Amino acid sequence: MFPAQYETLQIMSHAVIGFPSLEENEKAIAGLAVAGVKLIELQVPFSDPVADGHTLVNACYEALKQGGSVKATLDLAEKVCARHPEVTFVLMSYLNPLYRYGLQALFEKAAAVGIQGMIVPDWPVEEIEPWLPKLDELGLAPILMVTPNTAAERVERITRASRGMIYVVSRMGVTGHETQWGEKFQNYIAEIRKHTDLPLAVGFGVRTSNDLNALSGKAEVAAFCSQYIEWQRDDGSEIAANKMQTIVKAIDPVGV
Amino acid sequence: MIRSENGYFGEFGGRFVPEILLPALTELEDLFFELRDDPAFWQEYVTLTQEFSGRPTPLTPLRRLSKQLGGAQIWLKREDLNHSGAHKVNNVLGQGLLVQRMGKQRVIAETGAGQHGLATAIMAARLGLNATIYMGAEDIERQYSNVFWMRQLGSDVVGVSTGAQTLKEALDEALRDWAASVETTHYVLGTACGPAPFPELVSYFQSVIGDEIKDQSIRQMGCLPDEVVACVGGGSNAMGAFGAFLENPEVALVGIEAGGISLEDGKHSVRLSQGTGETGIAQGYKTLFLQNDDGQLGDTHSIAAGLDYVGVSPILAYLSQQGRVIADSATDDEVTEAFSLLMKTEGIIPALESAHGLAGGFKRAKSMRPEQNVVINLSGRGDKDIFNIARAFPQREWTEFLQREAARSTELLAQKGGH
Repeated sequence: MFPAQYETLQIMSHAVIGFPSLEENEKAIAGLAVAGVKLIELQVPFSDPVADGHTLVNACYEALKQGGSVKATLDLAEKVCARHPEVTFVLMSYLNPLYRYGLQALFEKAAAVGIQGMIVPDWPVEEIEPWLPKLDELGLAPILMVTPNTAAERVERITRASRGMIYVVSRMGVTGHETQWGEKFQNYIAEIRKHTDLPLAVGFGVRTSNDLNALSGKAEVAAFCSQYIEWQRDDGSEIAANKMQTIVKAIDPVGV
Repeated sequence: MIRSENGYFGEFGGRFVPEILLPALTELEDLFFELRDDPAFWQEYVTLTQEFSGRPTPLTPLRRLSKQLGGAQIWLKREDLNHSGAHKVNNVLGQGLLVQRMGKQRVIAETGAGQHGLATAIMAARLGLNATIYMGAEDIERQYSNVFWMRQLGSDVVGVSTGAQTLKEALDEALRDWAASVETTHYVLGTACGPAPFPELVSYFQSVIGDEIKDQSIRQMGCLPDEVVACVGGGSNAMGAFGAFLENPEVALVGIEAGGISLEDGKHSVRLSQGTGETGIAQGYKTLFLQNDDGQLGDTHSIAAGLDYVGVSPILAYLSQQGRVIADSATDDEVTEAFSLLMKTEGIIPALESAHGLAGGFKRAKSMRPEQNVVINLSGRGDKDIFNIARAFPQREWTEFLQREAARSTELLAQKGGH
């Protein structure tokens, strides 16, 4: 289930399939579920992840060495979707691995194993639109990205093609760096809300409790990904899950 | 020149980029579509290439070599005589005109052999722009002389140490930079690849090569050539040389890819000619990529850094699929042999990239008749390859010189207290 509009801020976190290893992914996801994370992206590692910063790029390379792949992601998804029904799993991938698998077969398989949404950063709205009837039939939500430089008429088109939620890229650039949450950002959010009733998932630069509290009351979902992967990389999945629990508990439901 | 249908050439091409890059690509496309049919703009561009890069470049007959091989007459289109030493500067000068019109103050570029980076550094210096050039760490080692000059020209050269550390990774990194800087920065893509409108735009500026070949052939041979041969990395020099002849079916168009060491995975960069490349969507466009069953882009190898690339121009993928362009390949060994042959027989030092075109072209010329004509696009000069060539033909004398030079340079640095 995706959150309802204006619901209290939730965290969406992340797993790069194969990082640090396929076995560790299962434990890490269990840890996130215990920590209270209700949305988890399962990222198919890719050789050329152009929208990601160095944390996720390096995690992708490592994951590929550990056997990460589309197939490994679907296998893992099948297990974790069954094991953690309270968590909504979203497939995150660059287009080529999915394209090679066969888009229709992939969508069917993903929906069958319990994946509820899909984030594909290099898959533009024009190319997604022809697939919407199929995706709707399967109940697989394409979560499209809006960026600060997206023109209003395109925001309209993107929000119309999106299902479940809108992924709001908080700032220019790639994942893994800081973001400012000032008035400019709030105007940006307000503009997007004019076009859609879907909940907003804000990503890129959500790294601290302060970031989360800045987003609380303004967005429904905060994508807390690169920072979590850095914890996982540096401290291991268990400590990373503990840190995540602290972060989840510290969210002020009203915001600042 | 060939035109896309909404950015597609048959099934190839398109624009598969993160949303953040879309406005810049649309802006660029709008500007390009507005200018490309304007004869005054083309004249402005051609004049610039004359004044700054010495165009038109000559079409040189290889009389001695043609006789020695005993087949068709071989002609070289001398893109090596461009300022900066390769055809890359054509595209860069053209994009420079677009940058000025867009009013952007910074440019970024990816580079493999360094020729495109060098050309971009030259353009940036001339127009007073800031430039950042992304180059694979492996390529930096292979083409250090170009890195040296880019830095002297005032550009920031950033080594990319992810993956195989070659052109593919440099392109990824340039796209990441652009995602953050797109509002003030123009991405000078160096080849006829990437998201629309780049394949079409780069081919448009490079088409000056084929236009000249056509005029010069009629003047110097009295007819069109029977074949035009070019090496294919991303495909910009090939598209440039072929563009003018697409409507002349009697002219065979031949692209030579890097056969590397062997056709084993990771040992070559052959995407078109051996059925090795498969349709994929990455780096912003759809084309034939070297990739595995999971859609992960593969590693490539070539003795020539500029051909060491995993994808290929969507226009060439389409023309090859249509049978209009014949694709072949040359191995590293065939390339060093052709390199040496041209140098010793005709006194021209080719780039290793271009020597692929030579190897393929010589082979074809041999089986043709003396009244036939083959034009090979000599896309660049070989000075930049001095270290690679020295490695291909090891000599004690050179190694000893390098040791002395290293000692001198270390001493100088110590005296000046440099780092």
